[in-house]
Amino acid sequence: MNAKSLIKRNYEKHPEIDFPDYKSSIFRAPKNRKISFPSSNTETIGPIFNKNIIGKLDNDLTLNFSKNKISPLGHKIIVYGTVSDQFTNPIKGALIEIWQANAAGKYLHDNDENPAPIDPNFAGCGRCLTSSSGYYEFLTIQPGPYPYPNRGIEWRPMHIHFSIFGKSFGQRLITQMYFEGDPLIKLCPMVNSIRNEKAKNSLIGVLDTSKSNTKNLLAYKFDIVLRGIKQTYFENRKEGL
Amino acid sequence: METIKAKLDETPFQTAGPFLHIGCMPNAIKINKIYQNDLGEIPFKDKQENELITIEGSVFDGNGVALDDVMIETWQCDEKGQFNEDSGFARLIPNNITKKFTLKTIKPGSYKGFDRKTYSPHVSLSISARGLNMTLNTRVYFEDDELKNDPLLSIISLDNVNSLIAKKIKKNSYLFDIFLQGDKETIFLDI
Repeated sequence: MNAKSLIKRNYEKHPEIDFPDYKSSIFRAPKNRKISFPSSNTETIGPIFNKNIIGKLDNDLTLNFSKNKISPLGHKIIVYGTVSDQFTNPIKGALIEIWQANAAGKYLHDNDENPAPIDPNFAGCGRCLTSSSGYYEFLTIQPGPYPYPNRGIEWRPMHIHFSIFGKSFGQRLITQMYFEGDPLIKLCPMVNSIRNEKAKNSLIGVLDTSKSNTKNLLAYKFDIVLRGIKQTYFENRKEGL
Repeated sequence: METIKAKLDETPFQTAGPFLHIGCMPNAIKINKIYQNDLGEIPFKDKQENELITIEGSVFDGNGVALDDVMIETWQCDEKGQFNEDSGFARLIPNNITKKFTLKTIKPGSYKGFDRKTYSPHVSLSISARGLNMTLNTRVYFEDDELKNDPLLSIISLDNVNSLIAKKIKKNSYLFDIFLQGDKETIFLDI
């Protein structure tokens, strides 16, 4: 038997919840302090997802919605990296789900009011499980920036949404990856809801020219770190173990 | 015990935004070609209707408006209090018209934790939506269970503990509304 506990979150390296520059947070962000308590079984055991849920094209967004193998519009990119915990241990079998706008900055979603065109060959939806070394890779299209109503009309930098499950519910993470060099990053209130510069920069996918040259596609590297889980072994092991 | 120090910072959260369905529940918005099933459609397989309970409710913003673009993820142990890594997870979105989410699941059992304390039956929730820069966490307990010795509930003052307790509305059926702001603001947890 071993006891597990999650490393406490450092909220200074996360976005502020109540951040009026991001207008939607005004009536949605809770005002009270969160209650802290020690990790229990609920937060530290599962869920884990089986590889049999993953289809062959799930991590290829250029093909998983295309009709007759027609490529979506825009330029293809590789987005890759590793998922590890705060102790630098790679996490095998982490489920990564991504979603994004198409090359014109339009989501395949009824609530997207941006007048840009949809792409009939692109849904913007993909997923994969990390390998034994924590590695993941997606083939997709460079998402476009797009306007949205906030304090008047503002522009979202190019980004891909990431949802990640590690080994436990307490490691659950939802975030966004941005693209190195995008001038819209520093203007974005959602990015700026993170005050810490180093934390902010950790969300920027870095252009990897060596991988780009090998594959003849632009490649962006985005490493993800989930919370560490400490294990304490009880001294009731059988002799000889 | 030796203390191990973390070497890396956790990757920061960002909002899941209004279009999270595309990545998390594509079939729910008629993107049907890609995944055979949405993740977390049913928390436990092969259960009979009479073994299931229903937890329903809405997520209200500070204006009292029920959100329709929120995603709620639920995680729980089985009826014996056992966590099985591959079952017990569900994803929910509110119904378009009623704005209510509905979880059909088995009633979790109580369990003895690593700390040897007994936890009352509960379902853990993770809430993501546009306007939430970080996912919110809370728990659902059940009003018809023994709750007074639960290690979490016992550290919360009596005034606001009720926001974590689902009301029984009929046999096997519970109501659990979530209030993001206001007098009834739900207790959210730093898990």
